[in-house]
Amino acid sequence: MEQKHNLSDYRTRLLNALKVGARRSASDASDPIQVFINDRRVGQLNGGGTETRFQLINLAHIDSVYFRSEDGVMLGGLSAPEYGHRSCRIPLSGDMIELRVQNNSQGGSVNAIFIPAPGLWHRAWQTLTSVVPAIVRRPPSVIIPGMRAVAFTQVLLAITVIGLASDRMTGWLTPERAALPVTPKEAPWAAPLSDVAKLEQQLVDLTRMQRKVMETIQTQQQGMTQIQQTMTKLSSTQETVVSSVLTVKQEMEQRRKGSGRDMDRVKRLLMTKAQTEQEQLEAEIHSLIIANDRLSKEMATLEQNNLDLKKKLKSAEIDVSTSTVSDPEKSMVARQAEAAQPTQSSQAVEAKPGLARLSPTTFLVSDDFD
Amino acid sequence: MILTGMQQILTRDPVMPESATTLGRLEEVVSTPEEFDRVVSQALPILLDRATGYTKRFLRETGQWTDDIAHEKFILRWGAEYLEQFLVCGRSEVPCRPLFLLDSLVAKQHSRPEPFCYHPDLLTPLGRFLDGLLARAAISRDALVALYRHCYGLGPGEVIAATGLNGSESQRIYKNLSRWRDSGWQRTMDEVGISEVELKDLLGQQQRSRQRFNSEAERIIRFAQAHYRKSEPEHYPCLSRRQWEEMFSQGYSCDYRIWHLALCLDCMQTAWGLGNNGTPTVEKPEVQLHVHP
Repeated sequence: MEQKHNLSDYRTRLLNALKVGARRSASDASDPIQVFINDRRVGQLNGGGTETRFQLINLAHIDSVYFRSEDGVMLGGLSAPEYGHRSCRIPLSGDMIELRVQNNSQGGSVNAIFIPAPGLWHRAWQTLTSVVPAIVRRPPSVIIPGMRAVAFTQVLLAITVIGLASDRMTGWLTPERAALPVTPKEAPWAAPLSDVAKLEQQLVDLTRMQRKVMETIQTQQQGMTQIQQTMTKLSSTQETVVSSVLTVKQEMEQRRKGSGRDMDRVKRLLMTKAQTEQEQLEAEIHSLIIANDRLSKEMATLEQNNLDLKKKLKSAEIDVSTSTVSDPEKSMVARQAEAAQPTQSSQAVEAKPGLARLSPTTFLVSDDFD
Repeated sequence: MILTGMQQILTRDPVMPESATTLGRLEEVVSTPEEFDRVVSQALPILLDRATGYTKRFLRETGQWTDDIAHEKFILRWGAEYLEQFLVCGRSEVPCRPLFLLDSLVAKQHSRPEPFCYHPDLLTPLGRFLDGLLARAAISRDALVALYRHCYGLGPGEVIAATGLNGSESQRIYKNLSRWRDSGWQRTMDEVGISEVELKDLLGQQQRSRQRFNSEAERIIRFAQAHYRKSEPEHYPCLSRRQWEEMFSQGYSCDYRIWHLALCLDCMQTAWGLGNNGTPTVEKPEVQLHVHP
């Protein structure tokens, strides 16, 4: 039981330590920060009030980079990518560590910068510079009415005060002597009463004027508030309009690019089609040229054959004529044969082109029929 | 029979539906570091149990597990170590699924030849005390300097003399030891799981048989130092007397001296006296374990 309790307490302590995290470190800002690469301590990043750097080039691949305080508490770190770079910012109670890790085929590199927390004066200056631009950015036309209202109110108040003061002073300098219904001996309090009444009236007037001034001031303040709200709305509207304009410009640019791309695509298609048709035409022309050449050759061959046949015919006629002189009967037969031959030869000659046209198979078939 | 830690944890948590919801959220994608922090901070117990469970499984499968309180504390300690690294590096891994990222981190650690320093002798109270000190010395300069005190009984001035420091480095030694006494030692005992009862038991053993206690401590220290010296850069090897002499006389590599001599018993004896211009005023140091700082 005691051991179970002991184990449970131990687990709770570990969880609490994890929840507290870097805050459980007892090191102060001036202590150096230990740098661990791949669970090996490789150096330290000096703390303190100045910006310091730590750079290291590792011949081996970097898996992880951790920072620990001098008392061993984990302050931060990162897991390095397989290839490429990764960076992060580690806050340390106002201070900051900017870490960049890079891996490539030659190894890895680590670059860490310790940025101390800015001092009090620096923070105040930053606050002031962040406020001033906001005021400067507000259009001067908004500021002026507000200032005018405040100035008017102040002037009115000053005039009132001066008027009252002067009135009082004139009253002191030239006190009025009203006609008294009774003699001063009889009613010594009558004059003071009138003065009192006058003073009361003046007080009432003053109170009324003060009330009016306060109302005016309140009205002016409300006006200022409305003006500020309007300006805020205007700023947001302006920002919206600017962003819309940017968006529209971007869309127009994209459309232009898109339409340009479409035009280019159509052009390319048309050109491709034209080129294809041109190539087809060229191919057809080429084939026609080849066919024409072939036919020309065939024609030449046929003409040559025709000439040869004519020559043969002439030589055959000469032979026949010589044989007719030696044997008249034979010559008669030869003449008849000769008479038939030219027709046959002419028919043969005439038939030859036809033969040239007809295939051998066709010629043999027609001869059989004869 | 002692219940295992996992059974205790599971039976302790009565709100199962909430755990199921949290577990489901851990399986979903988180896109920003802030979202990662928010999701995991609500689920630390679940994540710790998961990392602890994986460590237990590793020990089982490598034949190193025994059902006792020492092993339960061991896996809790290393589960917390893994979880601490996960909480830091997980922020830079977004977008990710936190639960599976933790699984991958633990698996990567367990895929190494020696993910942690494990030995049955390191699970005794003395072993856990020394393993805790040396493990902390690997990541904390305060604990590293304190090793000279715990192992050899050296004070800050003797440490400065033994390591040949001067100037600002020597001032730092005082600060390290002071902070260790104030908070570092107790936090280490808490995070290692050494109870007051166990510390008293150690002191009792030392009083009963100092020599045997110190020789046993030296044996365990040598074993653990060999493992934790791997936390040093690779260019921190053991040196000969002449090489140490040159380093001391030239005055360079202060960090080398502080880190290596604290984690190497042999080099501590080899380089003894060089810090006093080569004239040792006291005998060579031997292990005289001091439990308290």
